[in-house]
Amino acid sequence: MKRSLFKDNLKYLTSVFLSIVAALIIGALIMVANGRSPGVGYMALLNGAFGSKYNLANTFAKTVPLILTGLATAISFESGIFNIGGEGQLYLGAFAAAYIGFTFPSLPKGVGIILAILFAAAIGGLYALIPAILKIKYKIDEVITTIMLNSVAVLLTDYLVNYPFAGTGQGKMGATEMIADKYQFTRLVRLSTLNTSIFFMLGISIVMYYIMKKTSWGYDFKMTGQNERFAKYGGVKTKKQMIIAMVISGALCGIAGAFEVLGIHYRFLQNISPGYAFDGMLVAMIVKNSPLGILIMSIFFGGLKTGSISMENATSIPSELVLVIQSIIILFLAGETGFKKKIKEMMLKRKKSEKAVKDSAKSAF
Amino acid sequence: MGEKIIQLKGITKQFPGVLANDNIDLDIESGEIHAIIGENGAGKSTLMKILYGLNEPTSGEILFKGKPIKINNPTKAIELGIGMVHQHFMLVPSFTVAENIVLGIEPRKNKVFMDFKKAVDITEELSETYGLKVDPHLKVESVSVGIQQRIEILKALYKGADILILDEPTAVLTPQETEELFKVIRRLVEELGKTVIIITHKLQEVLSLSDRVSVMRQGKMIGTIDTKDANEQMLAEMMVGKEVLFDELEKKPISNKEILRVENIKTRDNRGLPALKGIDFNIKSGEVLGVAGVEGNGQSELVELLTGLREMEGGSLYINGEKVEPKSPKHMRDLGIAHVPEDRLSTGLSAEATITENMMMGLQYKEEYAKKKIHLDKEKIRNRTKKLIEDFDVRTPSQDVHLGNLSGGNMQKVVIAREFAFNTPILIISQPTRGVDIGAIEFIHSQIIEKRNEGCAILLVSAELDEIFRLSDRIITVYEGEITGEFKNGEITKSEIGLYMTGKHKSNVGRGV
Repeated sequence: MKRSLFKDNLKYLTSVFLSIVAALIIGALIMVANGRSPGVGYMALLNGAFGSKYNLANTFAKTVPLILTGLATAISFESGIFNIGGEGQLYLGAFAAAYIGFTFPSLPKGVGIILAILFAAAIGGLYALIPAILKIKYKIDEVITTIMLNSVAVLLTDYLVNYPFAGTGQGKMGATEMIADKYQFTRLVRLSTLNTSIFFMLGISIVMYYIMKKTSWGYDFKMTGQNERFAKYGGVKTKKQMIIAMVISGALCGIAGAFEVLGIHYRFLQNISPGYAFDGMLVAMIVKNSPLGILIMSIFFGGLKTGSISMENATSIPSELVLVIQSIIILFLAGETGFKKKIKEMMLKRKKSEKAVKDSAKSAF
Repeated sequence: MGEKIIQLKGITKQFPGVLANDNIDLDIESGEIHAIIGENGAGKSTLMKILYGLNEPTSGEILFKGKPIKINNPTKAIELGIGMVHQHFMLVPSFTVAENIVLGIEPRKNKVFMDFKKAVDITEELSETYGLKVDPHLKVESVSVGIQQRIEILKALYKGADILILDEPTAVLTPQETEELFKVIRRLVEELGKTVIIITHKLQEVLSLSDRVSVMRQGKMIGTIDTKDANEQMLAEMMVGKEVLFDELEKKPISNKEILRVENIKTRDNRGLPALKGIDFNIKSGEVLGVAGVEGNGQSELVELLTGLREMEGGSLYINGEKVEPKSPKHMRDLGIAHVPEDRLSTGLSAEATITENMMMGLQYKEEYAKKKIHLDKEKIRNRTKKLIEDFDVRTPSQDVHLGNLSGGNMQKVVIAREFAFNTPILIISQPTRGVDIGAIEFIHSQIIEKRNEGCAILLVSAELDEIFRLSDRIITVYEGEITGEFKNGEITKSEIGLYMTGKHKSNVGRGV
């Protein structure tokens, strides 16, 4: 009964797979052009991503911000309101968590962590609320406002950590005070950055999956995104739904920021994120906002990220190659429909010319 | 009638998953009016698009004046003298009539600048020759649909069309405009030697206009017959492949209980202009109130107002005697209004979603299908969808098919199934059978009457007068946002009602029922 759904997905999965293969081949060609062996390069990459307990742990550590921001993208894009401001929300969330961490060192352990996460979520959500309201009330395009608000958030936190909340003791290096010990998530594998935030992240992912796939809310989000007029006609409060989606999206990014602070850096740093929210967005776009897909694709992207460093160390192939590969995947997927059409046309033409040849052969006799 | 000007031989068109045309043979004789009829999805439009160069056949050949020819694109078709007037007009609203007619082959001054005066001259000359009156200076956005169609026909003739393909030309016309169009078509054929191919659903039109008629069903050509040997019943049977009876629908007497009442309601259209200028009517339990009018006279706004999609700017609305301020579609639905919208694809459905997802709209707020109105009971929803698909004869391989893959008639059945299954006391139905085939029309009509007989109060807006007359107990006519007449069904004929629809007659029964 669910065959056609499965078939649709299978087709798309094939496209994703082929895009990845094609991108890896192009990556290999680039290595060859530079006189490196792609075999050696990719082995180093694979090894660096999944080769040892330590590497594996680092790969999984990278999935935490990717999955959270990926889910944030998914819920907003599904609802037809486009949050491109995840990076800004992540920065503010991270700062908010750090603020709780160094301001209330005496709170009991569990309470402190929960408070820090909730505060980060609230700040991220509120920050996303601004463009949502601007869109609903004044029809100002949220894509533009959210992108611009990224800069506002990054620069604001720059200011905060350099002036009012500059840490003492380490000189002025663009960081806040350390958070209290009891706020710090436990590391799971020695020397790696993998920490217990991954369990929180998994819990949040399950909740998001449930909301998006199993509830009235998820249905309302989806219908609003697919055809807002239809949703409204059917009784969905589409404006409310879009605002909620945006706030949830912002909150998830805020939490992603909090985990960077509580799990990895133990304080807020200037440039704390190298663009996690944008990577998360790519992940969500590649898998068309499927929560399960985000989980799997994030492991692949996380692997590329950790593997690229090892590859650079082992073979002196620059880690930036991975960025090229990522971009090419997106490029191929963006051209998916176009490519499909071209291939189909080519196949049709070939069939026709074959037939023409056969026909002429027949008439020749 | 003369030589065979076009011969289609063994035309087959395979779309992914659909065999739209299956080995079709068709001859068009020069100087005839040839009607092509068939249900939706029978393949009529595809066949004509192949002839006009918009689709390429998978196999088969086209003979033009006896010689095999390839028509790869519309330019080629135009060269051969084949012109097509599409169902949805392709005009530039902000251009004048003359500018639209010459678009593509504009007369030029010094080879660079468009010669506007010459364009007007050309238009006047064409208008004169073919007896299609138009004012070359008017902007297209300000002329009626009937005139727009004339412009389309003139456009084709300007490009030198000898064979004119008309795709559902009467779908948007009033009876008067239709009669006018038929006169023009006859003149083109009889006096000017053109050939006309007309695609339609309406059997009466076929019988009154055409010389020969070809019937298609499910991608196959069933046969071509001389119109003088045909009758309505016979054509209908050929189209649907079974006996169709246009039975009188059995109607129970209307109760006296008033369900819906509006007094002096007003609203504006999307441009901010008054669309309803104070309208009164009521509907009783078990009654169908038909709203007849040329499209764009306030019907759409009336429907949107009653269903909460458009703000009410004055007047009062009563449901079961209680005054109601429409707030939102949800609010109106909660008050017991279900709505079949005029445009199923933009409003009534989501083409990207599956049939199940489309059918469950509204259930997500019902405890029965969503625990605490949050946790969806997917199994229950799926079973319900399955049953509705069976009850309403939606033809689909599975309930997980994306809605966009269904034919128009089946999409409409999805909307109707969903809305009717709510069992609301009030139904607002707009254009229920637009672009739907005969078999489905019959089914939808009987469903509407069944609802009526169950005691539902129904407002029916339709551009099809036949539909209004068949289903309504009472009819109101609207013109420019006002009610121009109110009649019991049977008190008035179709041609009389046309005069009220165009504002030429007016009675004051509309106000203060």
